[in-house]
Amino acid sequence: SGELHCSFPNPRNVRFESINMKNVLHWSAPEGTGDGVLYKVKYSVYGVGKWIRKTECRNINRTWCDLSNETSDYEEQYYASIKACLNGMCSDWMETTRFNPLTDTKIDPPVVSVSSTEKSISIILTAPEKWKRSPEEESVSLVQVYPGLQYNVSVLNKKTKKRWFFSISNNTLVVPWLEPGTAYCVSAQIHVTTPLLYSGFSKEYCIATLKDKTA
Amino acid sequence: SVAEIRSGFTAIKANIQARDPIRTLSILSYPHSLHKVKSSDRCCITHHLFNFYVDKVFKHCKTEDLYVNRKISSIANSFLSVRRRLQQCHEQNQCMCGQESTEKFNQILANYERLNVTSAAMKSLGELDILLNWMEKSP
Repeated sequence: SGELHCSFPNPRNVRFESINMKNVLHWSAPEGTGDGVLYKVKYSVYGVGKWIRKTECRNINRTWCDLSNETSDYEEQYYASIKACLNGMCSDWMETTRFNPLTDTKIDPPVVSVSSTEKSISIILTAPEKWKRSPEEESVSLVQVYPGLQYNVSVLNKKTKKRWFFSISNNTLVVPWLEPGTAYCVSAQIHVTTPLLYSGFSKEYCIATLKDKTA
Repeated sequence: SVAEIRSGFTAIKANIQARDPIRTLSILSYPHSLHKVKSSDRCCITHHLFNFYVDKVFKHCKTEDLYVNRKISSIANSFLSVRRRLQQCHEQNQCMCGQESTEKFNQILANYERLNVTSAAMKSLGELDILLNWMEKSP
């Protein structure tokens, strides 16, 4: 009947890795297998359950498969499954845990832009965009996806090493009463309250306040 | 509070969902997703669902794992306190139930009754993130 005999070792560590809802399936090769192993991928929507083959990831030798397009509705949950084959022998289908894009994605840090006057600095924060199919597609900021999205902002006085922390809901912050002619470094992080998610802190963006003209 | 429910569930989500092998049925999502509910019906459905979880789910979710059982009972306690507040809204007629929300909730009960009690309860518990995502979504 042409059914492949299944006694081949299973792929391992099958899981979704998601950043800003770019949802990529990853796995490790079966133990003790060298080159030449080919993989098949299928996925299903939880509650529907019908397995759908991912044709672009049929008989591939790499150990990842981008399922962002198939899992882009973040109000749904998903499963994916991998089978490994070599020389007519293949493994069992190995499944992920249930993947919920809204709670299981990681979020990149915000983009930080700063400007300064003599005694203040102005900070504008931009949250990352949700993954999209093509550059032409309309952008969706993660602010629209997560109503509870906030920013934690750190401001460091490079001279005194004094650091302030702010937690803000909107994306702009003006820090007043600063020292003229002094360098300040800003870093920011995204904090979603529900579901509870944190991005890493952005790299530091440094700027100097203008010199005091009257001095 | 809802945040306590969320953090309690996150701690046992993988364990609970792994106990539910049925992919072809969802209690809360199909055939009509919670996300299609009109905002005017949200309070009524939320009230119904909190009663559903307290009356039909938590009591049937015993596991062999003490840690998981403790988390389930703390989630259940949080549900009881939120339900009390919803009950007040209901009594003050601020939580009206229209035909659509009644139909929607009956669909959820029908999904639940398609499985034996333990499987249905464990599946419902595993879908708490669906309920929480819907509740926390802006109307």
